[in-house]
Amino acid sequence: MKPSSRVRLVIVGAGMAGSKLANDLQQTLNTHYSITLIGEESKVGYNRIMLSSLLANDISDAEMPLVNTDKMRVGGVHIISGDPVIDMDLGTKELRLASGQSVTYDKLVFATGSRAKMLSIEGASAPNVMGFRTWQDVDVMTALKGYQSVCVIGGGLLGLEAAVGLVKRGHKVTVFHRSNWLLNRQLDTESAQLLQNRLEGMGVQFRLGESPSSFLQSETGLVTHVVCHGGEHMKVDLVVMAAGISPEVRLAKKAGIEVNQAIVVDEKMKTSHPDVFALGECCELEQQTFGLVAPIWAQIKALITVLSGEDGRFVIEPTPTKLKVSGVNLFSVGKIQPTQGDSCIFFKDVAANHYRKLVVNDGLLVGAILYGNVADGSWYFQLIQNKTNVSDMLELLVFGEAYCRPQVA
Amino acid sequence: MTATIAKTTCPYCGVGCGVNFTIPDSLTESVPSVSGDLDHPANFGRLCVKGSSLAQTLKSDDRLLAPMVNGEIVSWESAVDTVSAKIEQVIKEHGPDSFAFYLSGQILTEDYYVANKLAKGFLGTANVDTNSRLCMASAVVGYKRAFGSDTVPCNYEDLELCDLLIMVGSNAAWTHPILYQRIVEAKKQRPNMKVVVIDPRETATCDIADLHLSIKLGSDAAIFSFLLQHSAQMDILDNDFIAQHTNGFNDALMQAMESTPNLVSTAKFSGVSEQALMTLAHWWEKAERTVTFYSQGVNQSSSGVDKCNAIINCHLATGRIGKEGTGPFSITGQPNAMGGREVGGLANQLAAHMDFATPGAQKLVQRFWQAPNMATENGLKAVDLFQAMEEGKVKVVWIMSTNPMVSLPDTAQVRRALEKCELVIVSDCKANTDTTAMADVLFPATGWSEKDGTVTNSERRISRQRGLLPAPGEAKHDWWAICEVAKRLGFQSAFSYHNVHEIFSEHAALSAFENNGKRDFDIGHFCKITKEEYDNLTPVQWPVLKGRPEGTKRMFEDGRFFTPDKRAKFVPIVPVLPVHVATPEWPFTLNTGRVRDQWHTMTRTGDAASLTKHTDQPYVEIHPKDARQLGIEDKTLVRLTSPYGEALLKAKISRAVSPGNAFAPIHWTQQFSNAAVVSNLIPQIVDPLSGQPESKHAQVKLEAVKNVSYGVVVSATPLDTLDFIYWCYVPSEHGYHYEVVWSVGENVASIQSSFKISDQVAGEWLEYTNPKTQQIRLAYINNQKLSVAVYLHAKPDSISCDWLESKLAKNVVLSELDRMAILVGTPANVEDKGSIVCSCFQIGSKQIEKAVAGGACSVETLGATLKCGTNCGSCLPELKHFIPTIIELSA
Repeated sequence: MKPSSRVRLVIVGAGMAGSKLANDLQQTLNTHYSITLIGEESKVGYNRIMLSSLLANDISDAEMPLVNTDKMRVGGVHIISGDPVIDMDLGTKELRLASGQSVTYDKLVFATGSRAKMLSIEGASAPNVMGFRTWQDVDVMTALKGYQSVCVIGGGLLGLEAAVGLVKRGHKVTVFHRSNWLLNRQLDTESAQLLQNRLEGMGVQFRLGESPSSFLQSETGLVTHVVCHGGEHMKVDLVVMAAGISPEVRLAKKAGIEVNQAIVVDEKMKTSHPDVFALGECCELEQQTFGLVAPIWAQIKALITVLSGEDGRFVIEPTPTKLKVSGVNLFSVGKIQPTQGDSCIFFKDVAANHYRKLVVNDGLLVGAILYGNVADGSWYFQLIQNKTNVSDMLELLVFGEAYCRPQVA
Repeated sequence: MTATIAKTTCPYCGVGCGVNFTIPDSLTESVPSVSGDLDHPANFGRLCVKGSSLAQTLKSDDRLLAPMVNGEIVSWESAVDTVSAKIEQVIKEHGPDSFAFYLSGQILTEDYYVANKLAKGFLGTANVDTNSRLCMASAVVGYKRAFGSDTVPCNYEDLELCDLLIMVGSNAAWTHPILYQRIVEAKKQRPNMKVVVIDPRETATCDIADLHLSIKLGSDAAIFSFLLQHSAQMDILDNDFIAQHTNGFNDALMQAMESTPNLVSTAKFSGVSEQALMTLAHWWEKAERTVTFYSQGVNQSSSGVDKCNAIINCHLATGRIGKEGTGPFSITGQPNAMGGREVGGLANQLAAHMDFATPGAQKLVQRFWQAPNMATENGLKAVDLFQAMEEGKVKVVWIMSTNPMVSLPDTAQVRRALEKCELVIVSDCKANTDTTAMADVLFPATGWSEKDGTVTNSERRISRQRGLLPAPGEAKHDWWAICEVAKRLGFQSAFSYHNVHEIFSEHAALSAFENNGKRDFDIGHFCKITKEEYDNLTPVQWPVLKGRPEGTKRMFEDGRFFTPDKRAKFVPIVPVLPVHVATPEWPFTLNTGRVRDQWHTMTRTGDAASLTKHTDQPYVEIHPKDARQLGIEDKTLVRLTSPYGEALLKAKISRAVSPGNAFAPIHWTQQFSNAAVVSNLIPQIVDPLSGQPESKHAQVKLEAVKNVSYGVVVSATPLDTLDFIYWCYVPSEHGYHYEVVWSVGENVASIQSSFKISDQVAGEWLEYTNPKTQQIRLAYINNQKLSVAVYLHAKPDSISCDWLESKLAKNVVLSELDRMAILVGTPANVEDKGSIVCSCFQIGSKQIEKAVAGGACSVETLGATLKCGTNCGSCLPELKHFIPTIIELSA
């Protein structure tokens, strides 16, 4: 097939999902598709997950790439960076970029990802209030000099990773978290307490069950103080917003594609419009959005199958959570708060920071929290995914694979 | 390092195996070890698992190390003064029969001799009885009635030489393992040799049986009554022998024909199939070389003596006695039950195989002892003795080396008796037994490896038990303590022995004194034995007459017995069933016995951790049908009630017992479990002739204990409170292991608080909870060391605690991975052995199952791969059960 006769596939968004899709497509369906990858960031194809580690100084820039963009280019992928798509026409299949350049597609994939949710409180738009999403964000934080007071809003995965990174860089960090315990979607109170103890030991301070009521700004517009609920003023140099993410759907919405919380897709990753697909954090299937890497990789796989003309399907499965803070091991997957009919099996060795909770229902493992020793996480994950009947293993299940394997065999 | 090897004798069962005892030069740097003595004719180098574990029992945390009076440590001087003053007082005020000795088949012949001499010759009471009363008193009376003497005719070789071996009421595979192994070996060499087991239970001994007669409890006599009349019918009588050497044959035969007229009625009476009984009868017809091997199942009965005579009648009628491979062979349960008989250490004996009724015997013994105060009639037998004590007639009792609070029937009565008794003296090497708890005066005794003297085994073989280790603390030999009391009572010259061989030579001299072949027991050869000769004594079977130092292998070879006319006597026997029968209120019959790896009341075997692995807890064996009806599941707690008391035991559901019957082992005391003393349930019914209790027959009801949870506690220190429904202490290598039962409703907090760990201790709890399996497991760890681990389950689970216990060893610091493993009970990479089957090599059921699954198809291949069964062999019957029988079924 001649290059000109190949289908023009354009991927909007060069984050992890878009870059990996481009890379994998190039390796498998290069002869069918001519691929264009368009990103708003200047850096393309890096591993966003590793930003926390980069911030914490646990890795260097060299360890950041997710895909080899040079190789992709040589292989024929057209990469446009630092130039976001600002408009599109579904009828003419034309895209307009911020630079004025226009790109035509036969098939289009939205991989626009998401942005940090900005709380709608006074002062939230100040220049020293930032998200924690991009390499650029990390560059800003690493450039901070001296001992700065940082307020992190949100005690979820991202917020805690940011907090630890900043503490390690010598700053004073206070985390505001609306819930009464950290990682309230992934942990229960006991494991969250273990985590909190550990992070406090590293120097992070916490204000739980609390959101700031407002930010006080200086004349220059910078936030100088966080106003706490009790009226107390806390001096800050920087505010990091990590109170959740919003899927980036503006372009799709404007173009007339069906959008709910995110771009609505079917299990073939197709949007409401033929020839337009979406995947990653910007898409929504069965009212669910996706923030973790495993389902997104599965979406890429499914989409490539679809694009190859075969019957690909993406199936939603529980995805485990890990916190990327070195020295802190936690693992959470599936249903972690029991409801009627569920039973919880516990192992607690608080002194050794080792905690396990398994949620079991009708012979199946449905959820797990591991703290401290997470070696068995992937095994529990498999049991959940494979819907393995664990009735015969209940006595030893919480002690992990090494104890149960002989019984399985 | 150099070491000394000395020969001594095993202190357990009546087989009397020779033991090589290796003593390291420095006892602080190394510990003694034991092995079988290749030269000893009882065992030729073999030792059973109990014997093999003797070295483990040498160091006990619970030695009695100083004399005590009313709970206070005192000097020997003072303790002996207290005792002799009290004996003097009660004898003065109430007569000599207000004093009694209660002795044991575990003390040595020399200890026995001086006790008997003091009581019967100097204090003037025949109240000298012994725990041997509980084990072979019926056999003694049976022999005496038939032979005129208490003479075991056979020897162990006869077991190997016979063509038919009938084992009656004996689970020798577990109780006399070395004899059993000799039989197994003989049967292998001569496959035509037939073995018949007569036992209500299907025991491990049945493993080599060509025929098992699962008789109704206590109905043994009918089988032999039938064999007697059948012998006449089939014309296999030895008419010459009957005519020349016996009396009373016709009466006995007439009675047999009346009692057991035919096969059908006999089979019905004994509850066996006619076919099985006929098979036995056919084999009996053919096998001129027959040994009948019998033990507690025959003796512990209200008609025990008659059963013995029913057996002996058959041997006399067919002349199967006094020849190679023949004889009625009573096997004793204690190391020196026979020695006790020889000195006259039973209340119905006088001395040196003479009875009060033997014409001239009293005068003879008085002359020999120069005794000032001879007893003139039989004293009180064990059960009567304790009843007289309760009635206030016996006011001072001196209990030596035995545990009547556990071994005598009706523990509540024994307790009442000891409470009533004005002075209870207990000589023991253990500080804490159910009986020492009742004592006013405690004398610290030497134990095996320290005691020096002789014992006699079941084949009349006298062997030396040698004093090889120094006595700890203030412990003294029993004979010494008796002599000290005797001297204070004014009998200096008769009890001033300097050395144990002086006692033995006096005993030998008495046996020969004016004997001239009138009495079977004569060891006159040893009358003037020197210390050196005594110390070098090699095992020898009595009689050892002057000029015949080689001893006597077999008795009655000349057909002459020890009755006045030298003829043996037939005794007409009416077979009867046990006294108590099942009633609607007490629907179950409880049989009692032993487990493989424990001995008696565990005062010795309880010190060897490895011996608890085979059976770690007391149990009651119940047929599956009964269990189903009573709602009792395997290993759950069962309450046994009899009119006399109660016990709590774990159920073992098994077809080895028949429906309506139950079986419980006798070993566990209150030191080991809160309510497992089986003698609580047993009535004080005795054989009228021998006084031996019917301990194998109690009427009970069984009831499942509901609403409980089961668990295990292992602790670095002994638990302060044992506030459980049931607990059993399981001796272990390290730390303290308890099997426990809680009432339901315990939770993490209530369990944690029950262990009362001080707030001062900076340790931490580990916790595992699983509502699906109703499990709670907790561990308290202090400074990386395990303090206590608690496992609680809804159902009884056997958790192998070996690894857990190893974590209680000193200097063990828990690793990160260990912490979780503590709550599992095993580290992930360690094989779970299952329950231990082979104690010698500590091979467990799961290992064996694995080897079988891997192709091991015989006990030999199992032995080759795992070593199991290749040492003492007592697990061989169990090993066989692991070998699939599919091959046989399809053949």
